[in-house]
Amino acid sequence: MQYEISLLTIMGISIIAALSLNLIVGFCGQISLGHAAFLGVGAYTSAMLTKAGVPFTAAVAASMLMAGIIGTVVGFTSLRVREDFLAITTMGVGFLFLGIVRKQDFLGGEMGIAMIPDPGLGKVGYLVLVLLLAATLALFSIYLKRSWMGFTFDAVADDEDTANLVGIDVSSYKLIAFAMGTAFAGLAGALYAHNIKFIDPESFGFVESITILSMVVIGGTGSVWGVTIAAGVLSIFPMWFQFIDDYKLLVYGGLLCMIMLFSPDGLSGIFGRFLNTIRGKNFNASGQ
Amino acid sequence: MLQVNNVTVVYGGVTAVMDVSFKVKDAEVMGLIGPNGAGKTTLMRVITGTVKPVQGTVFLESTPLEGKPPHKRIRLGIGLSQQIVHPFKSMTVLENVAFVAGHGKTGHPVMSVFRHSRAKEKQKAMEILHVLGIDKVAEAKPENLPLGYLKRLEVARAIALEPKILLLDEPLAGLNQLEARQLADKLLELNQLGHTILLIEHNLGEVIRICDQLVVIDNGMKIGQGEPHKVMDDAVVRSAYLGEGHHAAS
Amino acid sequence: MLFFDLLVQGLLQGGIYALIAIGLTLVYGLLRILHVAHAGLYTLGGYIAILITNATGSFTLGITVSMVSVGFMGMVIYRLIYQPILEKPPFVALIASIGLFIAMEEIYRIVFGAYGITFADAPLQGTLNIAGIYLRHCEIGALLLAALLITSLSLFTRYSRIGIAWRATVTDPGMSQSFGVDVIKVRYLNFFIGSAMAAGAGSMVAVMNNLVEPTMGSVPSYKALAIIVLGGLGNVRGTVIAALIIGVAEAFGTIYLGNILDRDSIAFALLILVLMVKPTGLFSKG
Repeated sequence: MQYEISLLTIMGISIIAALSLNLIVGFCGQISLGHAAFLGVGAYTSAMLTKAGVPFTAAVAASMLMAGIIGTVVGFTSLRVREDFLAITTMGVGFLFLGIVRKQDFLGGEMGIAMIPDPGLGKVGYLVLVLLLAATLALFSIYLKRSWMGFTFDAVADDEDTANLVGIDVSSYKLIAFAMGTAFAGLAGALYAHNIKFIDPESFGFVESITILSMVVIGGTGSVWGVTIAAGVLSIFPMWFQFIDDYKLLVYGGLLCMIMLFSPDGLSGIFGRFLNTIRGKNFNASGQ
Repeated sequence: MLQVNNVTVVYGGVTAVMDVSFKVKDAEVMGLIGPNGAGKTTLMRVITGTVKPVQGTVFLESTPLEGKPPHKRIRLGIGLSQQIVHPFKSMTVLENVAFVAGHGKTGHPVMSVFRHSRAKEKQKAMEILHVLGIDKVAEAKPENLPLGYLKRLEVARAIALEPKILLLDEPLAGLNQLEARQLADKLLELNQLGHTILLIEHNLGEVIRICDQLVVIDNGMKIGQGEPHKVMDDAVVRSAYLGEGHHAAS
Repeated sequence: MLFFDLLVQGLLQGGIYALIAIGLTLVYGLLRILHVAHAGLYTLGGYIAILITNATGSFTLGITVSMVSVGFMGMVIYRLIYQPILEKPPFVALIASIGLFIAMEEIYRIVFGAYGITFADAPLQGTLNIAGIYLRHCEIGALLLAALLITSLSLFTRYSRIGIAWRATVTDPGMSQSFGVDVIKVRYLNFFIGSAMAAGAGSMVAVMNNLVEPTMGSVPSYKALAIIVLGGLGNVRGTVIAALIIGVAEAFGTIYLGNILDRDSIAFALLILVLMVKPTGLFSKG
């Protein structure tokens, strides 16, 4: 039972991380290859604060704020560069985060931070908290998609220049997407830190950024359900079947490549087309 | 309504527009014509703010537009339809127009998250589509539509902003004669409903038919202005713009 | 002498980066694709060089076979992965490429083992004293190879018929097609040459470290992306200069910035700094 609880907790945290990236990549159409760095900012902030005696709730809130602020600063870069450059810049931010943290003694350097305080909710209590937060973020995402902000994100993702020429303040909308996405990444990072109780720079490296991105892409960028399911499955799949763990990255890499080749809109795209085919057949059957 | 004063634009050492001034009056259809590369689209971009002039000013009513980014100028009351159609591809035709019709709800980025009803905007969008005669394809995705529809969608989006002035960059280009005539008629209708229009257009027949005033540009310089028939009879305009070939043919 | 030591080491590293980054920037110039998997070919080049050298005893043969076979491999990747998705938005090819790169590294790990492989008898390990700076033969070899390949590339694109067509295509694909350039042939050539150069770099690094690991390409791969952006995407000369700058900056940075910044993030710090000031890169046109 203990094992299942810890699996589900990790799954919940992965869902929060993937949904947070989905706000930036899926909703607003801004590619980011350095998302794990913001999980890292959140994790380190919360770890340092709780070790200094700050209560868990306040530390988590602070880690969201911290990640959101740094994310907004990175968002400013996104205003200056476009698509291809943005991919490389966000990747650079990820590497820069690692490079800086590794050399800071007060952050534990290469060794990381151990003995991060337990929030005192018990295993089950913590799981419930994580799942509640994941569900809240999913609901918020669905609401956001339907709001005028989501509508505007669609336009920005489609064609920035044209959005600008129908009176949209594209820059502000992008910054909001970055601020929200990275703040929730900070939340995921803080939850991760208090779950594992140990963090080091490598926990937030490029491979982690790509893992989160692959959850979003495989689920279907922008699709809240697709991303949630993909994050849930991909996060626990390798642990459930230990023998896969050795081939985990091969599976991720291969899946990413294949999905891009055959269905760039991910599982939700496959599902959508499948539904259309069924509907189309019914229509044809009844119509002709 | 719109005033362009002494605008000069230089691109990498080449003067694209040279000291051009003109005024568009309320409720008027003004045609801006000239051969390819004369600087018409550049002037349009100076007005919307995507190109910065080295000299000159633009006023919308009495508001100077200098230093304002494009989205702010648009919101002051400029509806733009671009020469190359740029529909939002993930949206249906109706959503394209409804999105723009909701400009009041997207004006403040943070507040936009608290607004979610789209009913009014869809209704308004439907009315605009009806005026332009493309309400039948309201639910279609733009990528499946012929150019004639997309050109009208561009105009529909510009109208959805409820602008003080419509800037239309070659709305008739790429359309066949019948489609062009129909869309030109729609523009006249819009004008009669009270819209002020600045029209860049190559289709001279339609321009002369629907415009109240013409400004002619060649090589970045204004070479004529006035009522369509008078302007077209001007010798300078005829030789510069229409060329000898046209002269001989007529 | 520390100054010159660092400078030479920096230029050496920069030359290696240049050999990798040129292929990337060529692919970007031609197809607007960020070909992350390119560094997987660099690693493959190292593996093939070691395997052939160990089997035949000749490093010359090893590096030649490595460059030619990896060149063909690059063409295969273009045909199987990129060609089908050229019309899709740019992030599609980028993510496919990242996926392919991760998968390639994993295949190397599974096939050759996590600890990598070494030469049975590493070639070119003697040292030479040039004006007080000690360099190993393989390091001099790497410098010469980089200089040779980059010079021949520039001569090739300037004077040969197909080279000129290639350069025209990189500058303006649509225009050159209308002048009768066979764009498809140019793309294959592009992937062949870019990949072969990366394999050359991989082979020399294999000798210098006497080791090829599955993840040998990871860091260079991402760093090369930073380099081609600094060089102004698609600009070969800019890329070479940016590669040398990064190489030298790292050599000095390790000594003088070692306490605050990791060596591998210097390139990215420079990148972000430059983009803040000039969002189009150091050497972009206009």
